[in-house]
Amino acid sequence: MEGWTGKILDINLSSGEIQTVPLDMEMARLFLGGRGLGIRLLWDLVGPEVEPLSPENVLIFATGPLTASGAQTSNRFSVTTKSPLTGTALDANSGGWWGMRFKRTGFDALIVRGKAAQPSLIEITPDGVAIRDANHLWGKTVLQTTAALDQNNNKRNVLCIGPAGENLSLMAAIMNDGHRSLARGGVGAVMGSKNLKAIVTVGTEKNKASDPDQFKFMLYETGKIIKQSPLTSKALPQFGTAVVMNVVNEIGALPTRNFQQSQFENAEAISGERMTQTILVKKQACWACPIACTRVTKTENMEGEGPEYESTWAFGAQCGIDDLELIAEANYLCNDLGLDTISTGNTIGCAMELTERGLLDADLRFGRADLLHDTIRDMAYRRGVGAELADGSYRLAEKYGVPELSMSAKKLELPAYDPRGMQGQGLLYATSNRGGCHMRGNMLGPEVLALPRLVDRFATQGKAGIVSVHQDTSAVVDSLVLCKFTNMAATEEHFARLLTSLSGRPFTAQDLSQVGERVWNLERLYNLREGFTMADDTLPDRLLNEPVAAGPSAGFTVKLAPMLKEYYEFRGWDENGVPTPEKLEELSLAEFALAPAV
Amino acid sequence: MATIKLFGDLRPESGTTVLEFQGETVRALLAALMAKQPQLKTALFDGNELQPYVRIMINGHAIELADGLETAVSPTDQIAIFPPIAGG
Repeated sequence: MEGWTGKILDINLSSGEIQTVPLDMEMARLFLGGRGLGIRLLWDLVGPEVEPLSPENVLIFATGPLTASGAQTSNRFSVTTKSPLTGTALDANSGGWWGMRFKRTGFDALIVRGKAAQPSLIEITPDGVAIRDANHLWGKTVLQTTAALDQNNNKRNVLCIGPAGENLSLMAAIMNDGHRSLARGGVGAVMGSKNLKAIVTVGTEKNKASDPDQFKFMLYETGKIIKQSPLTSKALPQFGTAVVMNVVNEIGALPTRNFQQSQFENAEAISGERMTQTILVKKQACWACPIACTRVTKTENMEGEGPEYESTWAFGAQCGIDDLELIAEANYLCNDLGLDTISTGNTIGCAMELTERGLLDADLRFGRADLLHDTIRDMAYRRGVGAELADGSYRLAEKYGVPELSMSAKKLELPAYDPRGMQGQGLLYATSNRGGCHMRGNMLGPEVLALPRLVDRFATQGKAGIVSVHQDTSAVVDSLVLCKFTNMAATEEHFARLLTSLSGRPFTAQDLSQVGERVWNLERLYNLREGFTMADDTLPDRLLNEPVAAGPSAGFTVKLAPMLKEYYEFRGWDENGVPTPEKLEELSLAEFALAPAV
Repeated sequence: MATIKLFGDLRPESGTTVLEFQGETVRALLAALMAKQPQLKTALFDGNELQPYVRIMINGHAIELADGLETAVSPTDQIAIFPPIAGG
C-alpha cells in the first residue's frame, strides 16, 4: 500500500454477499478518498428514487490516501450516504483510531448495502470478513457496545450506533472508539435502518511511502509547522475548541435562545477558559495527532470526552443554560446514546421557544437545565415529548405550523455562529451541500480570528470568493482525509508534497485545489439531481428579516441575495445555481451534466 | 476609565481579568496595562507591532478595521484582548 490499497470491500447485508472490488485509480486521482471518493461512489449507487432509510441506500466508509500513513492527523475517515434528515448528499467524518485501523485491514473503503434480517455486526480482521449476529448488543449504549466488543485503541477498534440509531432518530450519529462521532445528518439512522449495530476492525497492514526519505522529511516539516503555529501548538491544546466561546460572544455572533439574541449573558460560565479551570482532567489526542485538542473532563457524577465548542453552545447559549457540568454531562449522554450534539441541542432550543410561545405543551423553557438530560434520553428512545424532537427542529417546528422557527438550513440544524454578525458565514450555511454546517469551510477564520487575514464581517461584497475557497479547501482536506486543524498551519502545497512522496504519484497544490472544487461541484450536482434548487440555498426567516436587537451586531440581518448572486458567478454556475457545461468540462465532470429540465 | 477584558492565557493565574485604565488610544491603554502587568508584553507585542493572531476589539469591533493601535478610546469603551485562539 502506497497511499491507496486499491481495494474496496463491498458488503450486502440483505444477501450476505461479501466481495472485494478494485478501486478505479483514475477515480482515486480525481477524488482522492474520504468525502471525495464517497460522493463519487454515491452518485452511481444511490439515485433520486432511493429513500434514505430503505435498504437501497448505502453507507460508504472511506479513508483517504494519507490515512494510517503516520502523517500528522492521518487518523480520520468519513461516511457518505443520502441523508434522512436533509435528503441531500451527506458525509460525516471522525477522528480517533478506527479509520487508521480500518485502512490497515487493506481496504480503502467499505460499501454497506441492503438490510440485515436481524441485528448484525461486521467484523474485519486478518482472518477475514464476517457478518455476525448482534442481537445481544441491540439496545445497548455506545459505551456498553464498545466495551462488549473489546475495544482497544491500539489493536481492535469498534464503530457502532447507540439507541438513537436503532430508533431511527434523524439526528442519530455513528460513534467510533467510544467517544468519537460521525455526527451529522442522521448517518446513525441509516445504519440502524440496516440492522447494523457495529463494525469491528483489526488491521496491521502498513501504509508505506513510495519515497520514504522524502516522506520522512515531509513529516518533519509538518511537525515543525504545527509546532511553530501558536494556534496548533498552544491555543488548541491549552483550552480546546471551546476557547472561541468568549470571542464569538464578544462580537455579538453567539446564537442565544434559538437565535433570538446574539449574545449570551453567561458565556463566560461555559467558556473554554472556565472548562480548563473547573472540569478539565487532561487533554488527549487522536492517533498521530500532535495537536491534542480533545478534552477529557469530569463532573461530580460523570466522566467523559468533550464537550467541544459546538456542543457547549448547543446545550448552553442555545438553550439559555449556563451550568457547565450539566452541559458536559449532556454531551456525554449524547455520545453514549449516539446523538449529534449540535442537532440535539439546537432542536431542544427550538422546542423551548415553541413552548414559550404556547405552541408546544411541555415544560421545556429556556434555562430549564433540570430537564436537559431527560429530554436527551427521551429523544434517543422516542419517548414522550422526545419523540417529537427526535427528527430534528424542522420537522418539529413544521408540525406546529412554524417551520421558520427551525434554525436550520436544508433542515440541518445550524451550529454556533449567528450569521447576522458574520455575513460570510450566512452564505456558507446557505450554500453548504449537506445543509447548515461550519465544517464545510468556516468563516470564523477570516471574519473574526484574522486567519489568514481579517475581512469586515458585516461586508457582503467579496465574500463569495472567500467562502468558495474555504469550501473547496474543506473538501480536499476531507478527501485526503486530515483534520481541518492541520490546515491552520499547513497549506495545500504542503499536502501535495506529502501525498506525492507517499503515493509516488505527482500531485501539485493546484491539483488538490481542483479536487476540492470537483468534489464540491459533484455534491451540488447530486443535490440538484435529487430535486434541490436555488430556492433551497437559503436561511431561516429570522436571520434574513429580524435584525439583531442589541450588541455589536445590532441592526444586522443576513444580506443573502447579493452574496448568493456573486457566489454563483464565482463558482461558474448559471443564475439558477447550476454548474455550467464549461465548468464541468474544466473539472473533468462533463459526464455528470444533468439533463435540462423539461 | 476604559475597561480592558483579558481572555485565554492572557489572564493571570489569580486576580481579576477585568481592569480599568486611562488612555486616549488603544496603544496608550496597552502601555498602561503592561506597566501594571509586564509579563504581558511579550505575549502581546513583537517590537512595536502586535504579535500575530492577537485580537483586540473595542465594543466587539476589530481595531484593524478602525485605526489599529491608534484607534481612539472613550472612557465608556470595553476593550477585549484575546491571545491567539482557534477552535469551533
